[in-house]
This record gives sequence, structure tokens and C-alpha cells, in this order.
Amino acid sequence: MLTCAEFLAEFGDYVENAASPDVRAKLEEHLHECKSCQVIVDSTRKTIRIVTDSASFTLAADKVEPIVRDVMARIRTKKR
Amino acid sequence: MLRELANAGERGAILTVFDFMSDILQAWNEALPRDMKAAAVYGFVPNLFLCQRQLPRAVEAEECLINAVVVCGNEMSRSHKEAILRCVAEVQKNDYCRTLYGNALPAASVGDSALFIFAIKLARFAPWFSKGDTSALKEWGFNDESLLEAVATIALGHMLCTLADGLSPVSDPRLALACSAEFPLVPEPTDWVETQGPYLSFPAEPSEKSPSYIFFRQEYGFLPNLFLVQSVRPDLVEAEARALENLMLPEDHLSRIQKEQILVTLSAANLNTYCFTMGCQVLSVLGALPGESDEIIAGQYLGQLSPQDKTLLDEAVKLGAFVKGSRGRFDRERLRTVGFTEAQIVEAVAVAGLANFLNTLQAGVGVVPDFPPPRTFSPKDLYPSDEKSRPISDATRPEDPDAEIVTCVQSGEIDAFEELVRRHSRRVYGILAGVVGNMDDVQDLTQDVFLKAFEHIGAFQRRSKFSTWLTSIAINTGTQLLRDRKPSESLSESDEDEGFCPRQIQDWAENPERLVAASQRDELVRAAVLRLPEKYRFALLLRDIEQLSTEEAATVLSISIPAMKARLLRGRLMLRESLTPYFVRRARES
Repeated sequence: MLTCAEFLAEFGDYVENAASPDVRAKLEEHLHECKSCQVIVDSTRKTIRIVTDSASFTLAADKVEPIVRDVMARIRTKKR
Repeated sequence: MLRELANAGERGAILTVFDFMSDILQAWNEALPRDMKAAAVYGFVPNLFLCQRQLPRAVEAEECLINAVVVCGNEMSRSHKEAILRCVAEVQKNDYCRTLYGNALPAASVGDSALFIFAIKLARFAPWFSKGDTSALKEWGFNDESLLEAVATIALGHMLCTLADGLSPVSDPRLALACSAEFPLVPEPTDWVETQGPYLSFPAEPSEKSPSYIFFRQEYGFLPNLFLVQSVRPDLVEAEARALENLMLPEDHLSRIQKEQILVTLSAANLNTYCFTMGCQVLSVLGALPGESDEIIAGQYLGQLSPQDKTLLDEAVKLGAFVKGSRGRFDRERLRTVGFTEAQIVEAVAVAGLANFLNTLQAGVGVVPDFPPPRTFSPKDLYPSDEKSRPISDATRPEDPDAEIVTCVQSGEIDAFEELVRRHSRRVYGILAGVVGNMDDVQDLTQDVFLKAFEHIGAFQRRSKFSTWLTSIAINTGTQLLRDRKPSESLSESDEDEGFCPRQIQDWAENPERLVAASQRDELVRAAVLRLPEKYRFALLLRDIEQLSTEEAATVLSISIPAMKARLLRGRLMLRESLTPYFVRRARES
């Protein structure tokens, strides 16, 4: 069976539900026995969810058009 | 040995070659005079190997491959393999190898005829080789293992012809002139059917304890598809690993970079996308590839080389399996003139032989690159202005939703660019915000990225989607600003995380989002992401925040897909560590 270190090196595809059946079976065999890794898988999935849903680096909708306007103005000025 | 010597005339030359090589190698490990005695005692060692005496490890590498391909393997008879080697020598018009396998003749059965058509197509027209060629042979009862044996034998034939072309050994007096042999005629293909490989099914991943697996993990960081697909023959993979180890790693004559450059240049000349991509990746890891893959001049030179190295590649490319003769004959004297030693020249030829072996092997098994290719080659590269070799593709490329607008802008419609800015300003802004952190700069930088994209859109060649290309510009622009501000800090590498392992093992709340207000949550995430070391931050930013696919993100960062996945996982685990104190299960919840 996998050690925790081996599990942690391999579970990247698993949290995205993209692991091959073989790898998945190997990882789940370990998970079945290891509470710590269960916690890490669960909290990593939640981390991805929180990061994906966050607006930490998002440009506000009303800022888009001013950028479009400024970029095109600079391009047209250069082309003259 | 003597008994086998007596039978050698009946069984063809290759057994003699192999058996004698192990003896001569043993002798070479001892003093030189004994080496000569050994040759005299055993009567005959092909000059092809004797003339590599300055580099015993090259002969050892070749011995490994000959043993695994010709002597081992249970699917095809040795006489069939020798006949294939003779066939490749005929295709390559290589007189030395033609004589070396002079007794090997093709059998007359229809199934054998199919095998030789297969061999000639792969040996002579590798860029056109497709799944259909493999399927045709399967109809004659070939399974994956026998197909692999056939392909490896053809690849070995190319390697031996390359050695003979580069080293020009004098003919072996013990060998009689080759018997005449009739092989099927295979016309030059006119159409190219692009097919998605691999042509063999992937067997189970080999044991992690096998020496070859350990070698590839250590030297490449992963098991490349080319070797994974051969797992059904671990001894063959092992021989290939040993050949790579003996030829590519030591730096007592040519440097590793010089040898990898030979491999990349020959792969480009042979139009082999897989081996070209793998070589570029290795050069990139060695720090010898220019930043932009566009700067690679395919088929010619890489980056800014010294005049001596340019000459080396200029000569090495003449040994390409597919382009033989079209660039003139390999000129050893020219290499001597610019200062290369005999051992270096022998090594260059041996590496070219290995490159042709790997190129032919890949073309025969059809594995797809392990990471996004910096450039894709096809037969149409041979006829840039000719419509006849346009691919009939059965592999649909992902559509680029911006393609039409990009065409308009490239043809001079400036106003069309406005829509591209509108579509992508949020992503560019998000990338820059995640790279530089300081929000005051981000809007101006976003404009700069679009101006750069506009200036260079004429050079955009659609090897990736426009959005991927634009994202690369954003990453580079943000990184450059960081470098300008903190030139003394090494931002790309951080050792502080090397021993990282999760320490926070507390259960998270069922709905952690409910524990913290949205605005506070965004700020927590932002601060935690910006604290990540650069390489993990960029991976997480592209994949989780900007939602690029793993392949697109790997392309943007110019790294392999396995490397991308590894960085992403580490980034996610580090972020989880930072966020855990805010999102753990509260007492009343448990």
C-alpha cells in the first residue's frame, strides 16, 4: 500500500477526478485506511473551490470599457 | 564462442557482430595491446565497431541495443530481423551495412512481403508513416509485441547505417559481397493521412523498481511515452536507457548540451515532432534553450551557438535518417579543422545514430509528445508551396474562437483589435494582479500587454490559441516588472518549500465559505496566493483562478504537463495550509 508521502505526491489528478482507474484504486486503498489523507483530500478540494470562486484578482465589470478605450486610443496614436 | 563462430556463416552476420563485440569490449577494458590480440584471436570484429575504439562506451551502448533488438525478443525470428536490417541498408543505399547483412535475404511469402513494405515505408518515408501502415501489418497476424520488434529492428538498421555513414569504416575483408536481394517497390507517398497515435496499446506502467524506470525518473523527471509504450519489452527499454546513459550523460568529450543539440537538430531534420519536443524540453531544463520557442530555427541552429558548435550541427544534420544525401556527405575533416578531437567526432556520430534510432522508433509506434510541442512537423514542411501533401487530419485541433478576428487584425484592420481587448482584458488583468500583487500598477500593465500583443500580432503563428499566446505575454510582462524592481532577488526558485509537507491536519467545515464574509474571503485568498513561491503561484493562478486547461497552462509556462501538475499540486497544498486556520470545523459543527 502507498505511504502518505507517496499518496501526497500522486493525488493531483484524483482531486480533479481525472486519475486513471488504476491510480484511483491505488489511492483509494490508502485513503480507506488513512484519516489524515482523507482530511487533506477534502480540504484541498475545498481550497480549490474557494480559490476558483473568489474574486481576488478580478477586474470590476465597469473597468473593462475604459481599458478598451485607452488601449485603442494608444494604438491609433501610434499608427498616425 | 568458437562453436558459434563456426556456425556464423550459416546464420548471417549479426550474431557474429554481437558475440564478438562483447569480447572486444572486455578486451578494451584492459590494456590496448591485449585489445589488438583479442581481435586477432577472434578473427573478425566488424570495422564499424573497431573504428570507435576511442569511445568504448559508445560501442557498449550499441551492443546493448543490438542484443535487445536482434538477439532477444520472442516474436520474430532472427533471420527475419536480419533481413529487415538488410532491407534498411538497401533503402539507405549503405554499402557497408548491405555487406554486413549480405547473407540475409527476404523470404518469399505474402506476409513477409507486407513486412518489407512496412519496413521500407518506415525506413524511407517515416514522416508519412501512419496508423494505417500498422493496421495493414496487423491483418497479417502481427500483434503489438511483434510490431514493436519490427519497428525496433528498422530503427536499429537506421542507427547502424548512420554509424557507417559517419565513420566510413573500410569494408571487412572476411565478409563476402552481398547476395542480390529483391525487396518490394514502395512509391513515394503523395498524400499524408495525419493520424493520432500511439499505434500500439499502452501496457501497464512498469515496476517503479526497474532500473530503466528509475533512470527516466531521475534524468527526465517522468517516464516518457516513447518508453512507456514499450513496457511489454522491459529488456528493450532497459537497453535504450543504458544507451542514453552511456552516450548522453558523460561529458568527457562532447558536453551534454552539444549532444542534446545534435538530437534536437536531427529530429527537426527528420520531421519528428516527438523527439524534437523532448530534446527542447531537456535543453530547456539544462538552461540552453532561448526563452521563446519561436526562436528555435527548426532544422538549423539553436539559439546563439559558437562557430564551432554550428559546424558540429551543420555536419551532424547530414546524418539525418530521412534527409540522407540532401545536405551533402558528412565531412569529418571539417570537424577536425574547427578543433574537434577524434573521440568527439566518434561521439557525435554515435549520438546521431541514437537520434535516428529514437526518431524511427517513435515514427513506428506513433506516441504523442509528453508536453506541448514548440513546433509540429509534417510532410508539408517538405513542400511549403505544394498543395499535394496537405494533411488530411483525423485529429481535430481545438478551435480558436479568436481566429477570425486575429486574421482581420493581421491583415491590417486595426479596429478589429478592440474586440480582442474587450474579450481578454479581465484575464490579462487577473494574471497581472496575481503576478505583481500591487494593484496600482495593474491597469497600466494591462494596457501595455495589449499594446505588445498588437505590435507582435503579425508574428503570431497560431501554434496555440490567441488567448494562450496573450497570457504568455501577460506572464512575461508581470515577471519582468518584478525582476526590474527586485533584481537581487531570485524569484523563480525558492528552496524554502523543498521540504514542504502538510502540517495542518484539521477537518474543514462542511461549507467553509459560510464562515467568512465574501469580501474577507477574497482578501484572505489574495494574500495567501501572493505569499506562494513564484513557480507554484503562477501554476495556481493559471489553472485555478484563470481556469486555463493544464495543457494551456503548461504551454504558457513552457514546462511539461507533469511539471505543471506537480507545481499545481504543491501550490494547492501550500494554499490549503495557509487557509486552514480560517476554515476548520468549529466545535458546534463536529
